[in-house]
Amino acid sequence: MRRRGSETLMRWSIALSMCAAIGAVLAQEPAFRWDIPAPFPKPPVPADNAMSTVKVQLGRRLFYDRRMSVTRQHSCASCHRQELAFTDGNARAEGATGAVHPRSTMSLANVAYNPALTWANPTMTSLEDQALVPMFGTDPVEMGMKGQEERFLREVKSDAVYQRLFPRAFYGVASPYTMQNVVRAIAAFERTLISMRSPYDRYRYGGELEAISESAKRGEMFFFSGQRGGCFQCHGGWNFNGEVRYDARPDVRASFFNTGLYNVAGVLSYPAPNTGIHQVTHRTGDVGKFRPPTLRNIAVTAPYMHDGSIKTLGEVLDHYAAGGRTIHSGPYAGVGHDNANKAPAVHGFSMTDQEKQDLIAFLESLTDTAFLRNPAFSNPWK
Amino acid sequence: MTLRLDTRARVVLCFLAVVAAATPTLAQTAPSVAVTGAVSQPLSLTAADLSAMTRATVTTNSNGIATTYEGVWLADVLKKAGVPFGAGMRGAALAGYVVASASDGYQVVFSLGELDPDMTDAQFLLADKANGKPLFGENGAFRLVIPKDKRGARSVRMLTTLNVVQLRK
Repeated sequence: MRRRGSETLMRWSIALSMCAAIGAVLAQEPAFRWDIPAPFPKPPVPADNAMSTVKVQLGRRLFYDRRMSVTRQHSCASCHRQELAFTDGNARAEGATGAVHPRSTMSLANVAYNPALTWANPTMTSLEDQALVPMFGTDPVEMGMKGQEERFLREVKSDAVYQRLFPRAFYGVASPYTMQNVVRAIAAFERTLISMRSPYDRYRYGGELEAISESAKRGEMFFFSGQRGGCFQCHGGWNFNGEVRYDARPDVRASFFNTGLYNVAGVLSYPAPNTGIHQVTHRTGDVGKFRPPTLRNIAVTAPYMHDGSIKTLGEVLDHYAAGGRTIHSGPYAGVGHDNANKAPAVHGFSMTDQEKQDLIAFLESLTDTAFLRNPAFSNPWK
Repeated sequence: MTLRLDTRARVVLCFLAVVAAATPTLAQTAPSVAVTGAVSQPLSLTAADLSAMTRATVTTNSNGIATTYEGVWLADVLKKAGVPFGAGMRGAALAGYVVASASDGYQVVFSLGELDPDMTDAQFLLADKANGKPLFGENGAFRLVIPKDKRGARSVRMLTTLNVVQLRK
């Protein structure tokens, strides 16, 4: 009798174990599939934040969730608008409370490949860490989430959509509703913001020799000629922002350049607080050094430069052709061409009107309309 | 019958005349790389000329994108022009160099010694194809590929001329 009872208990035990194992397998999300055309590499992914489809779905919801701000009216997408390649069209970003950021919103196109994030911080290399800055930063206030954590997580926990997504995105975690997991999910979504299907990509990598105009082809030659534009010396590589990180090479370091945009009188040649990586390193030789942004979709991300101080692509080209910007009067008066920290690559060049048009045609060929309209990147709350 | 033969002959002659007239034009318009200067046999090489030489490939990786370049070892091109690689690369010959020039005026200098495969393990490819297709766009029709260089600055794109200079006779 005792033996039979023991056998029954064992059978139940085995059955329950099998059910648990089957349940665990069913709960596992399928392997994440990147939407990356050949021949581009996959971006690096941190070991503690593996990609999954449901995590990306969660991150997309959070990215567009306006409750994630002190005013409950401001989301990541307020400054990162898809139709503008995830920029905002403003010279300088404006936070939830109206505070104006000293710098311009950067594009999120291919942000997962950037060796450093933001305009001028060599130490900011993690998307998870970077997401904390707009959320909790106080100088300036962007989303104003400091002190709002409990309120926001309470709202998240009570939201039916999040109740479905959080436990699946962070499967097996006892308490998945944390701000750390919020930024992990947002970072996972940002890693999917991949822009590699511009007309130039079809021309350069897809074998479609007629995908861009003859003018754009001439502009490409000017761009990639060290004797003419030399633009590639800072905006080189397939992402047009220098070296990139990718899965097999995740530790590339970013380069920063002073382009001679300013040369104001005094100790610091760039107007404070925008002194470039000098803000981090405090080295005089680093004043005015900023990270070159990607030129993908550049035609839709005006105004330009770190402070949005140049309105059009044509004016940007004039700045580089002159080997630096000259400001004749006012507090920022100075000859950028003579900035002591200016990169040798900004040597200036002659450019006819036709060559200028050609360069603009080339830059316009980098606009990836599939990226700007991809429904997978749009607001899921609508 | 005779008349018909004459007509065929005329057609053939006309065809040959057209081909003869067109051939120099095609040769002039096809992109080429010139090997000039202190060489016994100056050359002007088109992609067709290079395709008849011993072919070589190298694969590079640029920011995660692998590209297989195909062409001819630069040493083979220079040998064809009369540069004395191998046993002849001694004495005055080692005071020679090559100026590689691009269509936009970009120039890079290589010593003949470093280009000699009997002297170094470096690889210098004069490429005319990438991933099986003729080079185009920013590469020009020809380029150098130096896969062991840490930076790409010497891998001259839009290559047009290899001018050999001898400092000592």
